[in-house]
Order: sequence, then structure tokens, then C-alpha cells
Amino acid sequence: MNALSSAGALADLAGAGPDTDTDIDTMPALELCALSKRFTLGGGLFKRGRALQAVSEVSLAIPRGQVMGLVGESGCGKSTLAKMLLGLTTPSAGEVRVDGRPLGDAGQKALARHIQPIFQDPYSSLNPRKRVAAIVELPLRVHGIGTPRERARRVAETLDLVGLPKRAAEQFPGQLSGGQRQRVAIARALIMRPDIVICDEPTSALDVSVQAQILNLLLDLKQEFGLTYLFISHDLAVVEHLVDRVAVMYLGRIVEEGSREQIFAAPRHPYTQALLASALTPEPGLGVPDIGLGDVMPDPSNPPSGCAFHPRCPKAQALCRETRPALVTDTAGATRVACHFASA
Amino acid sequence: MPLLDVQDLRVDLPVEAGTLHAVRGIDLSVERGEMLCLVGESGCGKSMTSLALMGLLPRRAQLSAGRLDFAGESLTALSERRRGQLRGRRMAMIFQEPMTALNPAYTLGNQLCEAFLRHRLGNRRQARERAIELLERVGISAAAERLAQYPHQLSGGLRQRVMIAMALMCDPDLIIADEPTTALDVTIQAQILRLLRDLQQEMGTAVIFITHDLGVVARIADRVAVMYAGEVIETAPTQALYANPSHPYTRGLLSCIPAPGKTPPGSRLQAIPGVVPSLVGEVEGCAYRNRCPLVREGEVDAARCERTPELRRLTGDHQARCHYAEHRAATRVAQPEMSP
Repeated sequence: MNALSSAGALADLAGAGPDTDTDIDTMPALELCALSKRFTLGGGLFKRGRALQAVSEVSLAIPRGQVMGLVGESGCGKSTLAKMLLGLTTPSAGEVRVDGRPLGDAGQKALARHIQPIFQDPYSSLNPRKRVAAIVELPLRVHGIGTPRERARRVAETLDLVGLPKRAAEQFPGQLSGGQRQRVAIARALIMRPDIVICDEPTSALDVSVQAQILNLLLDLKQEFGLTYLFISHDLAVVEHLVDRVAVMYLGRIVEEGSREQIFAAPRHPYTQALLASALTPEPGLGVPDIGLGDVMPDPSNPPSGCAFHPRCPKAQALCRETRPALVTDTAGATRVACHFASA
Repeated sequence: MPLLDVQDLRVDLPVEAGTLHAVRGIDLSVERGEMLCLVGESGCGKSMTSLALMGLLPRRAQLSAGRLDFAGESLTALSERRRGQLRGRRMAMIFQEPMTALNPAYTLGNQLCEAFLRHRLGNRRQARERAIELLERVGISAAAERLAQYPHQLSGGLRQRVMIAMALMCDPDLIIADEPTTALDVTIQAQILRLLRDLQQEMGTAVIFITHDLGVVARIADRVAVMYAGEVIETAPTQALYANPSHPYTRGLLSCIPAPGKTPPGSRLQAIPGVVPSLVGEVEGCAYRNRCPLVREGEVDAARCERTPELRRLTGDHQARCHYAEHRAATRVAQPEMSP
């Protein structure tokens, strides 16, 4: 199925099943090439503002049908990255490719046919004055897809797909629970039949019992439609459960990337190690680990010299203060890590 | 005698549709120096319970309690003035959002010293000295200079450290911490929890820690009370609760979270179907029966669950509010969790 043809977006819900083609597509569904974003802070008419490098030269490839987890602390640039992928902010440098084609000049509307978001907070991401049916239908109307009758049928099918009862269509978001609202947000994302879904903390506003339902739904939908996810989360247990690969960001850069098994079993970057150590699994008696990171996130508008992580790093040496380590791919080509003293 | 002894605490809120029974008769006791975790999902009444204990309920809320004793004194009988003397002095609170809990218009020094001075524990110089000492204790460098700073000049983690120092200013007997680390990054959360646990043990302060995160609970609690629909449905020492969860809701909560090494990646998670019952109007019978797997799968006599279960003692100080807490399915589900 050609991802860039608009026919894909029009395909029937039932007909457009998973990519059952037997030829294995080696082209990544989504590719980020040295993507950077620079903001200017506090500039005035006669005053030059400070530059804030929110994202620096991020390169990432997500194979079709896979889930890439993106983890990092607040302010590390993961949401800015998501915004660039959704066309909500333009990159300062680099480009995004879908199926090998640059999206740069495709425009917002073309982009929306292929990449759709699910945001964190289903309380603020849905218009409280519109009925659920209208919210879910809106992308189709914007893109001028189908007749009103066809659209209504698609809305009904999509609501059913995400496990919402029929009556939900006529309700307002305020009448739904948090989990139901997030299902509406998922329905809205899926009605365009995107190839790629950017999930920005999709369950962190939900209770754990509801979180499990939504994670199950996301996994089912991925299976059924061969979706590719970029899954942004701070919950490492959820990331470990859901993703195929993990990218770890620190201060705008990827510091480590690898398979789920490698990252969780044998993390190589000291920051990844600290992040994993700070995840509190429900095992009584273990206490709270001492991760010794300090709690001062460096100022992104004035990043530390050399390796940006060195002020908090237990392994830091003189070299780390002077030279920024490159993101190096290991000999097997399976993992990338940016650390002078990475664990083997 | 426990430091805090609560029996049959109820909080009612008038709403458009009638009366919302936010807290429906809970019993709690906290020993001196103990860390009790109150865990539950949104709307279970855990925050209302903490506000009731602090005497900070919204004015329209109605509180009643069979017993509400703090250090041998009945809180319900106290005048608002006497209550104010306890608050901040002997009971302190740490809120979830350090940004909204701190006043942006006052310096940290001002806010740290306020309660100390208000409760006449010393003069300005002594207050300042105590503030500096505590800021250093919670791991804030250049404490003396920090006193002149404003909240916005600090990161979220530092602000929460200031909140902890502030709660400790008057050396209280009890601290109520309402989701104090939920807004923080995991790396910062681990450090704040460690700090809180260390200080609590060092100073012998009792803490009621309110959270929805069963991972946090496992790591810091001495004892746990699980809340559902305004009631405590299970309470036990931490080890016992995780080793042998006896209420179906507790078991449901524990199996909802993916556990590394136990839940195969990409497998379906156990979800709790259905929703929490509305607490507007009277709730009859077991509040969990509409979502309970034992009822759904016909494992138990559903008619019995129409009758409201009592919080009853199972073993030692393990209590659960379920007619079928000893049901065989309970052990069957729990066992694979325990085997290595």
C-alpha cells in the first residue's frame, strides 16, 4: 500500500487491513534525518534573544509496524520533536521522511493523512462544545472526504473499533470518563487511516485500571492496521511493555537507542542506567534506590560544555567536559550510544 | 495509643443531583513514626480524607466521624481557633503541585518562616536559622541565599524540596503528603521519595502518603490502605498486601500494571472493566460487585454481594472489605504472582 497516495486515506475501514504483503518493506515508515529545532527566547525589536536548542540533530528510523519508545525527562525536547513530526512547528534543520519521501514541502494537510497524534490529556484535547460524532468526523470534513452519509458510517465504525458504545456519538466530552475520552481521541486519530501515530504520553492522565484498557486497545489497533507508533512516555514499565525499540533523549539529543531487550537488560549510557534505576516497580522491600543524579536539569538555553550530561554523571571525567561524544553505532549496528565511557 | 485514630469518617458534599458521599465511613489509624500509604484511583476519596484530617474541607462539605482523635485529642470537638493552632504546627501538609502551593509573590524565606513565627516557636533569627538548617537537610545548596529567592527561580524538584522543608519547620507529629511526586520526573521522584523516607525515619514523623502509584507504595510504605469508592477496602502491612492481596480490586490494580519479568511485552494487560459507581445517593451492597471478576465469572454467590461487606480481619493486621476475601480463586490468581 502506497502510503503517500490519498487512496490510502480513503480506504474502507474493513478493506484496509494490516499490511499482509509478503515482501518485507525495508524502508522505514518514518525517518527523522538530523532534525533540529532552535527557539529564540526573549528577543525584542532591538535586542537579540537567547537561542534555545530544543532538539539537536535527531536521527531516528522507525520500521513499518513497529513501536519506537521515546523517553527522557521533561524539557528534553521529546514534545518538540513530536510537534515537528505533526507539522505543528517547522524544523530549523533536517527533515522528516515518510516511506523515504521528505514531508517538508507536502504541507500540513498532506502530512495529516499519514501522521496523526494522540495527546496526553483527553480533557483538554477535545472540544467540549462539540458532540463526539462531530469531533471524530472533523478530520474527514477538513480533507473533504466522502459524503455526509459515508462520513457518518465511518464515524460509527471507528467509534465501534475503539470500543465506544453507539450512544457515545451523541454525547459531549464532558459526559464521558477519562478513558472514554481518550478512546474518542484515538478514534479521531484513526479515522484518517494514518500509517503513523504519534502517542504523546497517551495514558499518563488516566487511572491505572483505565491505562491498561487503552494500552490493550493501542496494541490491538497496531496489530489490526499495521500501524507504526512513536510512543512518548515517562513510564518505563509501560514503555517496556509496548515498544520494539527505545530512544533515550537528554537535553535535545538522543543519547542512546536500541532494542527493548538491550535497553532494559543492558543499558550502556549512564543516563539510561539512572533512568531505569529510578523506575519504581511494585516490589516491596527494595526501598528507593539512590541514583545520585542531583535534581538540577541543566538550562537548555545554556547547555553544559562537552557532554551535556556531565554535571550529573557519576562517570564524568575531564574529557566529558571538553568534548561532546558522538552518537556511535556499535559494530553489530544494533545500538547507538553517545558516551565516551559507555558500558559494553 | 495511635497518633491518629479515625473511625467511621464520612464526608458529604451537596451537589446538583443530591448528596455526593465522597468518604463513606473509613477507619484509619496511624502510629507515631509510621508511613501509611493511602492508595486509590481518582475519585476514591483519598484527597477528601486528607483534607478532612487537616480541617481544610470546602465549606459546603459535611464531616461526621465516630472518632477523630489526634494525639488523644478529639479534632471534631475543637474550635476553629484551636484547630488552626494544630495545623502547620503539629500536622503539616505537602501538596502535589509545588508551583501552586507556593505563593509566587513571597520569597522562600518568608514562606518558610511564616508558620514558625505564627506559632510563636521563636524569633525571626531563630526561624531563619531553622529554615537554613532544613534547606540544607533537604539537599539545597547555598541555603542562605535561597531564602531571598522566589519560587519561580527554582526547578520543580527543588520546589518540592522546599515544600518538605516547610512542612518540617515546626517539627510536626504528622505530615500528610498528597501525591507529592506525581508532577515530577522519575529521576527526581526517586530522590524526593528517598529524602522523605530518610527524614521521616530520622525525625520520627508519621506520614500519610497519598498516591495512585503502586510502585511508589511498595517502596516506601510501612502499611497500606487501599481505597475504592470512598471506602477503605483493604489494609495490611506492605509486604503482606503485595504477597497476598485479598480484595479483588487490589488484585485487579496490581495486575493492571505491566511488571517487568512477569508480563510478557506486548501481551494483553488485565484491565478492570466498567467504571466506579456514582457516589451520589446511597450505595447499596459491595461497591465493587459490578466490576468484580468473582461475581462476573459466577465464582461466588452474587446475592451475598448485594449486602454491604464489613472491613474484617483476615490475619494479624490484614483486613479486607469483601465477603469472599478467602475465596479459592483469590489464592489461585495470587499464586503465579508470588512464584519466582
